[in-house]
Amino acid sequence: MNPRNEDMTMDPQAERELEALEAALAGKPVDPEHADLAALASELHEMRVAPPEDFAAALDEQASTGFPRRRHSGALLGGIADRMRGAIPRRRLLPALAGATAVVIVGTAVVVSSRGGRGDDQTPTLKSASPPQAAQEQGAPSAGPAAAAPATGEADLGRAESVAPIPPDSGGVPLSGGTGAVPNARNRQIERAAELTLGTEPEQVQDVSGEVFRVVGRHRGLVLSSSVRDGAEGEAGADFLLLIPSSRLSSALADLSALAEVRSRQESTQDITAPFVTARENLRDARAEAEGLLKQLAQADTEAERESVKAQLRIVRGRIAAFRSQVRNLERRADFSRVSLSVVTGDESVVVPSDENQWTIPDALGDAGRILAVAAGVALVTLAVMLPLMLFGAAAWLGHRAYLRRARQAALGG
Amino acid sequence: MEQTLAAPASEAPGAADIAFEQLYRSSRDDVFAYAAGLLRNRSAAEEVTATAFERAFRKRHRFDPRRGNPRAWLFGIARNAALDELRRGKRQAELTEEAQDVDSPSPGHLAEESSRRATVRAALAGLDSRERELVALKFFAGLSNSEIAGLLGVSESNAGTRLHRVITKLREACR
Repeated sequence: MNPRNEDMTMDPQAERELEALEAALAGKPVDPEHADLAALASELHEMRVAPPEDFAAALDEQASTGFPRRRHSGALLGGIADRMRGAIPRRRLLPALAGATAVVIVGTAVVVSSRGGRGDDQTPTLKSASPPQAAQEQGAPSAGPAAAAPATGEADLGRAESVAPIPPDSGGVPLSGGTGAVPNARNRQIERAAELTLGTEPEQVQDVSGEVFRVVGRHRGLVLSSSVRDGAEGEAGADFLLLIPSSRLSSALADLSALAEVRSRQESTQDITAPFVTARENLRDARAEAEGLLKQLAQADTEAERESVKAQLRIVRGRIAAFRSQVRNLERRADFSRVSLSVVTGDESVVVPSDENQWTIPDALGDAGRILAVAAGVALVTLAVMLPLMLFGAAAWLGHRAYLRRARQAALGG
Repeated sequence: MEQTLAAPASEAPGAADIAFEQLYRSSRDDVFAYAAGLLRNRSAAEEVTATAFERAFRKRHRFDPRRGNPRAWLFGIARNAALDELRRGKRQAELTEEAQDVDSPSPGHLAEESSRRATVRAALAGLDSRERELVALKFFAGLSNSEIAGLLGVSESNAGTRLHRVITKLREACR
């Protein structure tokens, strides 16, 4: 049985003797039977050693100055722990820790916000092109409203406003002359697209559709296709496929959004610099090849030789036409934005704010969610790092305490 | 004496310091007497007493009144310091034969000391460390049996029984 937990039953004689001992120490009369016990207690009490006066005075001095730390203050780990506690009092440590945590959270929030925490996505993003777009990107010439395209100066200005990330496959491709320069923001070719859904009453579908044409004309755009349906709520509606000069896309969308209740609005951008540069280089190479063939033709001596060069020239001219078409097509895609507009009736979609530049409550909730997610991630990583260290520290501390307890008991028992 | 070292926030600043000073004033001599009785060395007792109060002062805000009275808490700290000193003293004693100056009266006092006290002193010297600690806690520091029990981590009856055994041993040695 562990002697620390042993519950000893005291015999009556021992109890009486202990009571006599207590009485003697308290200065009370003791039964003559226990006179020797009382005398022993008094003798022991009188043998108590008082602290020397100089020591008592020095200790009093230390007490009055808050016990300044001395050199020898016990075990090594205990001394270190005491020193740390003394150096940083807990009441000061807690506010400091709270402040540090607040700084980390605010810093995280700032970093997340600076990375574009807005709910609306203003930053051009690279999205996978739809099949027709992909086909066009590969260089298949397609008929478009090239003839109706306005002067490109305005479109170029629009391109200059956007800054798109450089895709890995286009980095370092020179725009002209093989200078080796990376296309800068001004020279990048960005294709924009938008989808807009407006909600209105069935009887107002015709009016809204008419306004759509007026807005497109005002912004020098084109209506590629239109379809207007009459009927009851949910059936009536209209669909438009529009081409709007990219430089006026924002203002045109704002005007279109003002025509009716905006149910949904989505915009996307795609960097087409790489295929544009490739097409231009192919065109330049083909032209150089044609010039070479023309020189060969001028120097040809025989008819057979001339016919052979002419045949090659025809092929090269066909390639030049195809490459020129590719370049124009890509220029059009950058200069004009494709807008898909639907006018619906009934409650089909969720209403979204028309002005994308406003920071709204849903935006704030989205931002808050992102910040919390990042903060939770940071906390999780910190925990993953700290937890093993804390467990190790706790194990070391418990081990030290157990060792100390055993060592102290051993000091008594030895 | 019921004291508390942990001052509520509404109290004036320094209330814990005032309570600690009261504890210091009432316990300084008792702590020294306990350390001297256990270690039988004045300079070691001085070191233990100073260390105990220094540690207690640093920990005064962590005192929890629900776990015992301030005096018992202070003696817990003093006991740990004394046992650490005892360990160190034993290590040193293995290298140098250190005199136990508390048990040995000075030549001036030797003549005045009664034969009865000399007998008791000799009996005390025959006790082992555990027994001597019980005597120091009971007769030198003036702790009650329940305080001693709390300090040693045993039941009160167990502490009483141990104390009775030591007293019986001393009585027999003094006959």
